[in-house]
Amino acid sequence: MTHMPLKLDTLPTRRDEAWKWTDVRGRVDESAAGLSVAGLPKFTLPEGVTISEVETDDLDTDSAMAKLARNFGGKVWTIAVPEGFSSETPLIIEGLNRGHIRIRIDIAKGASLSVIEHHAGDAGGFVNIDMTVTLKAEASFDRTIVHSDPADCVRIATAHITAWNDAKVTQHALSFGGALSRIETRLAGMGKHIEATLNGAYLLDDKRHCDMTSYIDLAVPDCTIRQAVKGVVTDKSRGVFQGKFHVRRPAQHTDAEMRHDALMLSDTSEIRSKPELEIYADDVACAHGNTIGQLDESALFYMRQRGIGLAEARALLTEAFVADVFDDMDDEELRESLLVKIREWLE
Amino acid sequence: MLKINNLSAAVDDGQKTILEGLSLDIPAGEVHAIMGPNGAGKSTLSYVLTGRDGYDVTGGDVTLDGDNLLDMDPEERAAKGMFLSFQYPLEIPGVPTMTFLKTALNAQRRARGEEEMAAPEFLKKARALAKELKMKPEMLKRPLNVGFSGGEKKRMEIFQMMMLEPRFIVMDETDSGLDVDALRIVADGVNKLRSPDRGMLIITHYQRLLDYIVPDRVHVLSGGKIAASGDADFAKKLEAEGYDAYAA
Repeated sequence: MTHMPLKLDTLPTRRDEAWKWTDVRGRVDESAAGLSVAGLPKFTLPEGVTISEVETDDLDTDSAMAKLARNFGGKVWTIAVPEGFSSETPLIIEGLNRGHIRIRIDIAKGASLSVIEHHAGDAGGFVNIDMTVTLKAEASFDRTIVHSDPADCVRIATAHITAWNDAKVTQHALSFGGALSRIETRLAGMGKHIEATLNGAYLLDDKRHCDMTSYIDLAVPDCTIRQAVKGVVTDKSRGVFQGKFHVRRPAQHTDAEMRHDALMLSDTSEIRSKPELEIYADDVACAHGNTIGQLDESALFYMRQRGIGLAEARALLTEAFVADVFDDMDDEELRESLLVKIREWLE
Repeated sequence: MLKINNLSAAVDDGQKTILEGLSLDIPAGEVHAIMGPNGAGKSTLSYVLTGRDGYDVTGGDVTLDGDNLLDMDPEERAAKGMFLSFQYPLEIPGVPTMTFLKTALNAQRRARGEEEMAAPEFLKKARALAKELKMKPEMLKRPLNVGFSGGEKKRMEIFQMMMLEPRFIVMDETDSGLDVDALRIVADGVNKLRSPDRGMLIITHYQRLLDYIVPDRVHVLSGGKIAASGDADFAKKLEAEGYDAYAA
């Protein structure tokens, strides 16, 4: 742990391929709140789940943001979910408003954990979250991310998820962006027959930026991956989707689908999209689809002819476009709360 | 009621004139039919009356109960009472039929300064009408028109019409895609809406529909204007003799 201020040239820049559309270095200066300090997240734990602060310099990754989290984030908030654990109550993580934060979640065999993360930053804030999640055999992890930052807040939230056999990972992310934001999910399949759903939606206005990046690395057979990300951009905002399925030679019978569909509601908004499949196994079903479009003028006219005003017609069609990535959520109340946020944004 | 006076309209950014000096007066309580060959401008007329983008009015005027329709947005015309039953009803993915219709009904009511219809009353009315039109109750829960057959979509148009109770109804090729049984159900629904203070304009290529919905007047649209008019029997004559005599 260092007490020197963060050197800006250690931040990723658009010259790094993985960061070419999300230029952290270009958007952050020394005045950013929390740039060189540890953050202070707040955890609400379900009964039976424990938390401790662990001091370690170990890193599972060599990524620049993970190194910065190690250098400035201090101790690792380490959450242990015991074998066979299950609860109606989710783990809630808040206070992700500034600084570097390291979180580790260990989900023991057969345990299941739901997590709700509220990513809401400070004005002028800088947030770097490095989260490591390990799912032992038959464990399940259901993660919901709600993200809305002030227009001048920068956020990089990275999760490294490792899943062993018969584990189940479910993720739903809803983002309204920030000055610059990236929600990155990296999933390593280490045991066979993993099921993962990685859905998300971003709705951006003004000059906001949201990047949803994912990397699914499969080295084991019989995994099923479903990914659907929807985007809506207007004004001068920018949406970025980078998705990669890396199917290694042993990963036979992989069944993987990746979709990214975006609506551009203004001529000055921007979508950057890079879906990638890298496949070395020969008996797999992998597909990806990527579309960018506008609201259907005929549908809008039809709705207006029935008396629905233009703004309301647009909102209804946009909500319908986005909402289906949350259709499969188990927690009906949580799902409804996400839809309410979407409706508020559309108003 | 609906007065169309010397109406001209063009598409393709004004490059292509479709209607040229069309005049028509449909008083309250009457049902008029417009027949004509393909390409005569029948659908253009329905879109011009309801204010679709891309259909430019280049002359004339249209009033409903004395108010100039052409100055209004599509939703204002709807609130004023204009209803178009589409030749090809749109599919609206993700928006349940009931949500769509309740939003539409209450948007119209708000625009007219009326109180919104409460959910129980709305549901009761919707269920009763669905039964009358022999529609499956599940159809009302599904996204509007998504996965519906051509006939189901047309029935859904009539259902919406009966829910919204418009002042003036334009039906564009309502009979296309309907078998005889469905046609009878649709026609029964339309006939029930005939009333002394409501007008209707039925746009159709074939006379068949007019056996079930008997019009007060029949007009031939040709060359962008009304080329001839007559009573209900005139439709049968047109069907037998074709439109050649009225070619522009």
